[in-house]
Amino acid sequence: MWRRYLLSGTVLWLAAAAPASAFMAYVSNEKGNTVSVIDTDSWTVTKTIKVGQRPRGIEFSRDGKFVMVAVGDDDTIQVIDAKKQEVVDTLPSGPDPELFAQDAAGKVMYVANENDNTVTVIDLEKRARIGDVQVGVEPEGMTISPDGKILINTSETTNMAHFIDTSTRQIVANVLVDARPRFAEFKHDGSELWISSEIGGTVSIIDPVKHVVTGKVTFSIPGLRSEAIQPVGIGMTKDDKTAFVALGPANRVAVVDAVSHKVTKYLLVGQRVWHMAFTPDEKYLLVTNGVSNDVSVIDVAAQKVIKTIQVGELPWGVTIAQP
Amino acid sequence: MIGRIAIALLAVAASTGLGRAADPRYPDWPCAQAKVPEISLAAVWAGPPLDDVQGKWKEDARITALVEKLAARRTSLDDAQKAITDFLAASAGDKTTAGKLLFTGLFDSLNAQRSSVMNGIERVTRKQREAAERIRADTLALQALQSAPSPDQSKIDELSNQLLWETRIFEDRQRVVRFVCEVPTTIDQRLFALGRTIQQEME
Repeated sequence: MWRRYLLSGTVLWLAAAAPASAFMAYVSNEKGNTVSVIDTDSWTVTKTIKVGQRPRGIEFSRDGKFVMVAVGDDDTIQVIDAKKQEVVDTLPSGPDPELFAQDAAGKVMYVANENDNTVTVIDLEKRARIGDVQVGVEPEGMTISPDGKILINTSETTNMAHFIDTSTRQIVANVLVDARPRFAEFKHDGSELWISSEIGGTVSIIDPVKHVVTGKVTFSIPGLRSEAIQPVGIGMTKDDKTAFVALGPANRVAVVDAVSHKVTKYLLVGQRVWHMAFTPDEKYLLVTNGVSNDVSVIDVAAQKVIKTIQVGELPWGVTIAQP
Repeated sequence: MIGRIAIALLAVAASTGLGRAADPRYPDWPCAQAKVPEISLAAVWAGPPLDDVQGKWKEDARITALVEKLAARRTSLDDAQKAITDFLAASAGDKTTAGKLLFTGLFDSLNAQRSSVMNGIERVTRKQREAAERIRADTLALQALQSAPSPDQSKIDELSNQLLWETRIFEDRQRVVRFVCEVPTTIDQRLFALGRTIQQEME
């Protein structure tokens, strides 16, 4: 009898202690020149990794073994070994890399170099530069279409989204969006391309085949000046039904019905919310708050902020390994 | 030589902020951070409504003194947060009103501080634009003097010297602007952090 109690107790204890969904989130701290590692089970920072100057764009390699981080002021991309949790290598980008995108296979990487109006193409296996694409002034946002055929790059100065054919590396179309486009995100089914405009205060919905703007997501928060609404990061659920848009100094993340393109809710997070990443099970969404130096955790189903985690100075990007 | 420096400098100035305002609404705004003219209450306060206490903080001498202390950047954030905790603990009877008054005071004061910094930044942009015009004109004048059939060396020296000073002041101001661009954000940060402490203490 006692033994049975004891045993079932142990089982319970084990069940409670075994992490249901422990993922590691990596956050780049632009001013702190560090990367914070967050355990999504305990929601604590378990390690702070020293990296180069001005880390911004950050992403896991497709195999989940490495974290790549663009360190703009060092004109390179550093490679962090996720097991060792330290910088083990660098990749050859152009000057002032900010953001980058990988193809579906994780073999080719495209880097937006803010200072020389180019996108650098890198072979990830050889870790070598294999080419450049001339794009608009101050390239910013980067993404690849789900079929891998088109690379999207946004230009901060010309307010355009450039469509680049990944096989010929030539620009095949330019689409004008609102002022200071920041970030580009495809729906998983490839039917729509969303582009946020920081100063324009909108998200443009683009038909990726016809290359035209078909709609716009607009934002309005009672009591808040329109200038404070600066859309940047976009996160789309895998079913393409719900999108989350970070609104910068509005200190809010908008929940958008991705079918009707209407905002359904605004979630109060930290200051100057910038980029975001889902946990692989899509239970949580982590967003970086650059001015309050923290990360907010959003419960995706409940559409509620459940936690705030202090990280380094000026958190910018976040990435979580996909299983 | 000087002329070449000045021209190079102008090229730099033209490509880094001066004359290139990202936001057409604010042509004099030189910072990379998009301009938000004032902080909205909804961006920094998630506590109880403040309509009933608007403007009243100035009537309470204890609140005005504390607001002045907390709003000053020389008071460290840690000290400021401790002062809030102490003050609200001592106002146990009416913590909510005290917290609301304190926050409206901080909101008004820090917003005013921030506006004056932003106005200053835009004033400097306008001054820099004038200075750039002057440097351009003086450079052309110097080139004309140098290419005259019988150059007047003393005038050339005088104008070269003037140009040197003008460009130096111009460069220094450019550097300062980049630094000052961070100040509005620092104020946002302070208001948000203090607001969060007040809300926590009120709960």
